[in-house]
Order: sequence, then C-alpha cells, then structure tokens
Amino acid sequence: MTTDTSRDHSPSGVSSGSGALRKVAVHGVMIFLSLVSIFPIYWMIVTSLRPENEIFSTTLWPSDPTLENYVFVLTRVPMLQMLANTTIVAAATAALQVVTGLFAAYALVRWRMRLAGVVHGLIALSWLVPFQVTMIPNYVLASRLGLLDTLTGLIVPNAAHAFAILLLYHGMRSFPVEILEAARIDGAKSWKILWQIITPNMGAPIASLSIIAFISAWNEYFWPLLLSRKPENSVVQIGLQMFMTQEGNLWGPLMAAAALASLPILVIYLLLQRHVIESFMKSGIR
Amino acid sequence: MLRRTTLKLTAAFTAASLLPFGAFAEMPAAVDKPITITFYNYNLASASAGADATKELIAGFEKKFPNIKVEPVAVPSNEIMSRVQADIVAGQQPDVAQLVFRDLIYIANDLGANALEDMVSADELKTHFTGMLPQGLELGKVDGKTYGLAYTFSTPILYYNADLFKQAGLDPDQAPKTWDDVALAGKAIKDKTGKNGFFPGAYGPVDGTFVYQAIVMSNGGKVRDGDTLTFAGSNAADAVKMLREMVDSGAHAKIDPASAGDTFAAGNMGMFLYTSALLSSIKKSAAGKFDLRLAPMPSFGEKPTAPTNSGSALFVFSQDPEKQRASYELLKYLTSKEAYTIITSKIGYLPLRLDIVDDPAYLGQWVKDNPMFRANLKQLDHLTANIAFPGPNYRQVEKMMMDSVREAIFGSGDPVATLKAAQEQGQELMP
Amino acid sequence: MTDIQADLAGPLVKTAPVARIRYQREKISIAPWIYLAPALVLLMVWTYIPLIEAFKLSFYQWNMLPTAPQRYVGLKNYERLLALPEMRNALWNTLYYILGLFPLSVILPLFVAIWTQDLTGRARMIYRAMIFVPMIVAPVVAAILWRWLLNEDQGLITLGLEWLGFDRIGFLTDPNYALATLTWITGWKLIGFSTLLFSAANAGINPSYIEAARIDGASRWAIIRDIRLPLLSPTILLLSMMTILFGAQWSFAYINVLTNGGPLKSTTNIFYLLWEYGFETMSAGWSSAAGMIAFAGFALLAAVCMGLTKRFAVYDD
Repeated sequence: MTTDTSRDHSPSGVSSGSGALRKVAVHGVMIFLSLVSIFPIYWMIVTSLRPENEIFSTTLWPSDPTLENYVFVLTRVPMLQMLANTTIVAAATAALQVVTGLFAAYALVRWRMRLAGVVHGLIALSWLVPFQVTMIPNYVLASRLGLLDTLTGLIVPNAAHAFAILLLYHGMRSFPVEILEAARIDGAKSWKILWQIITPNMGAPIASLSIIAFISAWNEYFWPLLLSRKPENSVVQIGLQMFMTQEGNLWGPLMAAAALASLPILVIYLLLQRHVIESFMKSGIR
Repeated sequence: MLRRTTLKLTAAFTAASLLPFGAFAEMPAAVDKPITITFYNYNLASASAGADATKELIAGFEKKFPNIKVEPVAVPSNEIMSRVQADIVAGQQPDVAQLVFRDLIYIANDLGANALEDMVSADELKTHFTGMLPQGLELGKVDGKTYGLAYTFSTPILYYNADLFKQAGLDPDQAPKTWDDVALAGKAIKDKTGKNGFFPGAYGPVDGTFVYQAIVMSNGGKVRDGDTLTFAGSNAADAVKMLREMVDSGAHAKIDPASAGDTFAAGNMGMFLYTSALLSSIKKSAAGKFDLRLAPMPSFGEKPTAPTNSGSALFVFSQDPEKQRASYELLKYLTSKEAYTIITSKIGYLPLRLDIVDDPAYLGQWVKDNPMFRANLKQLDHLTANIAFPGPNYRQVEKMMMDSVREAIFGSGDPVATLKAAQEQGQELMP
Repeated sequence: MTDIQADLAGPLVKTAPVARIRYQREKISIAPWIYLAPALVLLMVWTYIPLIEAFKLSFYQWNMLPTAPQRYVGLKNYERLLALPEMRNALWNTLYYILGLFPLSVILPLFVAIWTQDLTGRARMIYRAMIFVPMIVAPVVAAILWRWLLNEDQGLITLGLEWLGFDRIGFLTDPNYALATLTWITGWKLIGFSTLLFSAANAGINPSYIEAARIDGASRWAIIRDIRLPLLSPTILLLSMMTILFGAQWSFAYINVLTNGGPLKSTTNIFYLLWEYGFETMSAGWSSAAGMIAFAGFALLAAVCMGLTKRFAVYDD
C-alpha cells in the first residue's frame, strides 16, 4: 500500500520542496491530534501525583510528586479486588459473546431457515432497544434469580449481543462454501465443522469482537451501579464513583482511581496494539 | 415479569395491611436468636470519612448485640431511594434505610415505612427521645408520627475566604451578616480581584432543595402550603429576585453548580453557602492556601434566618416483628450519645443531642479543638424543617420548581413570571 | 461491518445464491434452532420481554410501587409527552448531538485518513496507537477528565484561553456552550476509532485503480473524488449510520455524569429524559412511553439508513 499511495499525490512531478512541506504539515496534524487524544490521560496521571493542597495547580509536572493518592485509594476502597472482579466480568462477557455469536451466526449461515429473516431482524433490532428501558425490569429479574451483588449478574445479561452475532455472521458468510460442502459430504457433524473448520479461520473477527466486548464490559457503569451492594463485589467503575461523594469530589484520589481503572486496559492495549489494529483492519469492520 | 412480581407483592402487601395495627405491638422486647437485617446506607458508598465512621458504628452495634448481624447495602445517595424502591418491587424487603428528607412523605405514605409510634411502645420511645433536640425530631415527622429518625444532618453555613476579603479591601473580621452585606462583599470581590464573589450550593443535582428552601424561608416564604404550591408567592419570589439581582450585578457567580465546592476550595471564590458537612474537606484543601472562615447563613435584614436541614434520617421497613426489634435497636444505637460523638467528630454532621456538646466524655474536647464548628451549632436553635412534597408526582413537582428557580436566577426572562408559570404547571401534579 | 448494515435488513436480499441452492435439499431441521437458542433466549429474556413490558406500561400511569395501582390511561402518556416542551427540546437536542457528532466521527477522520495515507512505518504506528487511546477510556473517566480540564476557574483549558487573550467560557454552565461541549466529549472518543476504520478501508483499495488513474493524468484531487471517496463510501455510510443510530445514546453517560441535562435543560436528550422519568421521578408510564418513542424512532431511522446504504454504497466486488 505504501509504495503506490506515496506516489499518487504527485502525479505530475510536483517539486520535492512542496513534498517536504506536505510531510511537515501531515506530521503537524497528526501530532496535534495525538496530543488532543492523550493529553487528558496525561493530565489525569499528573493530577493523581499531586499532593492534596496542590491539586488545582497547573504546572505540567508536580513539583513534589507523591503516591499518597494511590495509597489512599488502595486503603479506602478494595481496588485490587475490584480490578480482579472487572477482569473476570470483562473476560467472561467477551468469551460468552464470542460463543453465543458463533453459534447464532453459524445457524444463520449454515442452514436455510424459514424464519431466518425474522430471526435476523430480531437480533438486529435488539441493538436499538435503549438500555434505560430494560434496566429496571432486568433488575427485578436479576433479584429474583438471586443475581444481585454477584459477578454472574453483571455477566449474564450481556452474554449475547447483536453486534457480536452480526459481525461473526458477516465473517462467516465470506467463508468459501466449497470447503463447508466438502466437509459435509465427508460426513462431518455440524459442530465439528463449526469448531474445526470455521472457527480457526475466524481469527480476525473473533479477535476484534473480543477486544470490543472486553473494553465495553470493562467500561460498563450503569448496570453495575444498579446491581452493586458491596464495594468488594463490584467493579472498578463503581470504585471511581466512590470518590465522587456527597461532600464534593475527592479529586486527587479520584484521578488516582481513574488511572488505576484505566491503566490495565491501556497497558494491554499498548502491548497488543499492533495486533489490535491489524485485527480491526482484517476483521471486515470497514 | 415485572407484572407477575407486582401481583404477588400486591397480594402480600394486602395481606399485611389487613392485619390490625396492633400487630406492631407484638415486637419482642429483645432479640434472643440470631437474625440478619439489611441496612441501606449511602455513606458506605463513598470513600469519605463517612464510610469509616459508619463501619465503626456498625461494628460497635454488632459487638453490643451479638445476635444481630447487619448486612450493609452501599448505594450512592442520589440512587439510594430508587434502589430501596426497586428492592421492594423485587421482593427484597429492606429493613433499615438511610434516606434523605426530600422523599419523606413518599417514604411514609407510599413506600410503607413504619412509624416508630406504631412499632414501639410509648414509654420506650420516650426514654430514647429524652435529650434529643425537639426541632431535630420534628424533621422526620409526617402527620404527627415519626417515620424518619434524624440521623446525619446539617444546615447551610457561609464559608468565606478571608484573603479575598482583604484583597477586595473588606474587613475579614466582619463576617457578612445580611444578604445586603453579601451583595456588597460579592461585588467588591468580583470587581477588585476578578474572582467569583458568592455562590450558594442551591442549584446542583445532589443538594436537593435545602439551601434554596433555607433562603426562601429566611425571607418568610415557603415552597408549599398544604397541597398548594407557593414558591412563586411574594416572599419566596423576592428571595429569588434578590439572587437574580446579585447575578445581574456580578456579585453572584455563574459557575457549574456541580463544581462550586471545588471553585471555592481552589481559592477562586469569596463566599460559599453550603452544608456544614463539607467543612472537613474544604479545610483540607484550604490548608496553607488561604484563610478559611465560617459564619452563620445570612439573613434578610432583621428577619431571623431559617437554616434548613440537609442530610438523612433512618427509616424502618421491616415487616417481621423480630426484625423490627433488631432494626429498632440499630436505630437506637445509631442515634445514641456515643454514635453522635462519632458522627459529629468524624463526619462533621450535627449532633441531635446537644447535651453531649460540652460533655468531656463525648464531644467536649473535640468542640474545643474545632471552635469553627460553633457557628454551625448556633444555628440549631432555629433549625427549620425542610419541606418535602406530597403525592405520587412529588419528584416531578420538585424538579419543576428547581428548574424554574435556575431559570429565574440564571435565565434572561422575568424571574417572577418564570416561577409563576412553573407553579401553575406543578400544581396540576399535586394531590 | 459494512455488511452489518446490509445484514440488518436481513439475509433476504444479499444471501449468496449458490449456498441457497445447495442447502435446499435439507428439510426443516431442529439443529439451527439449537445453535440459535443461547443468543435468542438471552435476547428474549433480557431485552425483548422488558421491552414488551415497557410497551404495556406506556399505556398506564404507575409510580413503580407494588402497593400502588397501575391505572390504564390509553394514549395519554404519549399525548402528554409530545405536548411537553421538555420533550420537544429533548428531541431537538438529540438531533443536535447526532449532527454535531458528524464532523468528529466521519468528516475529520475521513480527511485525516486520506491525508495521512502516505505516512509509513513507525510514525504511523505511533500516531494510530495514540489517537485510538480515547476509545478505550471509560466514559465515566472521560467525563471526569473533561470536567477537570474545562472547569471555569481552574481548568487548564480555561487558563489556556485566558493566556491567549480570550474570555472565560462556561463550557458546562453556559446554555450556549454546554451542548457543544458534551458533543465534543462524545466525539473525542470516536475520532481515533473512525480514523482507524477509514485508514483500513483506504489501505484496502486496489492500487491498480489508482495507478491507472495516475497514468491517465488524473490530479490528486480527482483521484480522491472519483476513486477513493466512492470506494470508501461503504465505510462512510457505516460510520454515518452508527452516528445517527447511536450518537445520542453515546452521549448519555456524559449528560448523566456532567450536566444532568442542564444548564436550563440545554443538554438533555431523549435517552436522558426517559432515564429521568424512570429513575428520578419514578413515572413508569412516562418513562416507558418516552422509551417506546425513542425505540420506534431509531428503528425507523435504521430502516431509512439501510435503504440509503443499499442505494449509494459502491462495493468493489
């Protein structure tokens, strides 16, 4: 891609001088956008390192950085437990969405069903149902199922999602029919075809789906807020909420808690970012 | 599914309500077998001093009553009411809940809270109430019965920044006493220092209506009279008009109501009228930054002020007599002298028992170490109950009122006409 | 996901004909339903049954209490809502959020993706990595960070503006700015993601088209206009559709955390309104009716969008 595209902008031999200028401008725009994107995060970390009476200071780096806000957060709120809970919830939600999505997508691709259109429509439409409408009835249901204050209660209602099904459905549809046919003629059972032939070839969509599902489960706020009854059974976003008190926001600890809630996912992203971005590019989300 | 639950519950409730009220009298005198009660609490849902103090109180209670286990349910204060309601709908009957005063009537009439008079014998109640501030006990009453027992509560107090006063050429030792003083000082601070003059914590999402009501009632106004809304009445409207004039002159700041506390704590505001519960956190931010002073809330000329309560009361929802006893023991413990010593010294709320203030066994030493708190205690003499709204649509009415107050003070239209329009609209939703 | 839009319309239109014929010999089978069961049961239980319940409640007046009766009021809730100035205001704001997000979720990313296509190697990786970061930040965290930066008295942006000689702006307190501020915060999280999708689509364009045009002497702009933009149209339409259908919903968390719909109701939208009715004022009927209006409205919009997509998207098949 790089070789051909680098040429198409100078079709009639524009001088190299203007090319260099363009390059500077391109870098300038990208640097500006990058700054806009990460500066708030940087500011969060800097503020979390400021002592309490310097919290409103505007120096780019605290004159006297301190970890007292982190100590405060870790001693006041079961933050490590919450991080563990959030990891479990996000991983389980992502895994379940992949599994339920694979099953449903497979059913729609593999068989010709009379009600396929209706099923498809129901799945897609469910995406448009505002969560504000379903929250209270779901709370009542969760309560009757004994799911209040449990991680299961945070996972199960999100175990299937229209986006997951549709993304995987699209991925599977581009799978060569001939291979499936051959497997079927060889007498392979339907689940064998799914697990041994289709799934291994769905790497990119599954990866990007897992990433998106993991991120959104990690960042989920309103459902855990409703379901949580004890901090130690809750997730990091609720931990954050605990520093926005009736008596005003505790900004230092709040920033430290926000950093703690974001850092794991940021670190994972930075480690995997090449794969994350590649899987998005290949997954058919475009 | 909601409906099925609803039906089942409606049946259960009907059955319960068929029992004679005498059923309450069957509450046993003591808890002699292990029992667990739930305690819905919002202090526990934050990482503030309130959470530590509450944990300490619960631990003290469980030690005193080894048979009773308290299962805390931590919910942020702006969610706690809907959570209690959702749990009742879902069939999880709460036992004790810390709820705010704005919902008082609804809790008593619709949510099925127990009146203490129906649950506890008159003698026993009298014994416990002895020594409690009568105005404080009034706060939780509906139609003469005590549904909520005032627990953590406070009144509005004027915080001011003495450094900004000096910079504006004002005498910081002369605390503003009347609203005229506030308007003058606010204008001077705005003009001379460029910082914000004055702001009341009366328009935000979390403060309910208590600061606004305190201002209105200090001018002899009232937000409602029986089932008639009166917040556009002349005295109430004059109070709002006075705030609007301060906004127009620049004495009253125009800032994000949700971060007014931060603005003051950062040293960017001269005067801030808000709950005394904020004291410890403001004190910490002000340390080494500016000279923080406190004064009672300002008055309208010679009229007495009407400091109104914010904060919460304790309500009992238990249906089972055994649990009622356990819940009542918890209530008693949380409003005892020991408990109020912790609540006042560690969280910063007002004590409902004034006899502990100078008692060295309780608050004596602490009040000596924190003389600023006196301004707050002084206001307890004329503590005025926050007025809650009645009827099933009370929250909508309250919201309409506050929306119109914000519009009247920060908008561009005629303030009185704005209030009048909202009052008419709101009246339709009153019972 | 281009085809997710097409997929939304159901497989009736775009199913590969080959596969159809081959599978036709299979008679009605229970197997697909077993595979569909987990997803369908979950969607039924957690989405559709509550939705049907809400549909029913939208004709009743009820304050969500088991002790209180549900009173049938017919279409009154809808009539009342639609007559309420608050509702009209919320609907206008919903439209504003959606339109306001376009420059951030579609136009700017498209521009950036095309403009920076010849960046290579490490620099490109770093830029992409950085602009993607807001996407993974939790909405609550983003809300807190922006409130902190935009604070009117000690926020860094306020101080920056002052340093540049501008007046202070009440980003969250001035009704003239608050809506734009919330739209910006919502969009801030989208720029990186959209740019990534556009870059991916742009990189996927068959180089031989460009080469051919270049040989024909087409100018840079002509190549963009006649080749790149048409071939990027599925992505443009996809992101536009996502913005239309979900933009207002994405802004909900910021309204809830930052403004509660204020100042002077200037930032409330349809989702916040129904939340307020449900959770703040406990009017199940109003809340359900507002929910049904939102659901029906966006379902209709989705249908229109898909119609447009089918008509205008250019696929390089």
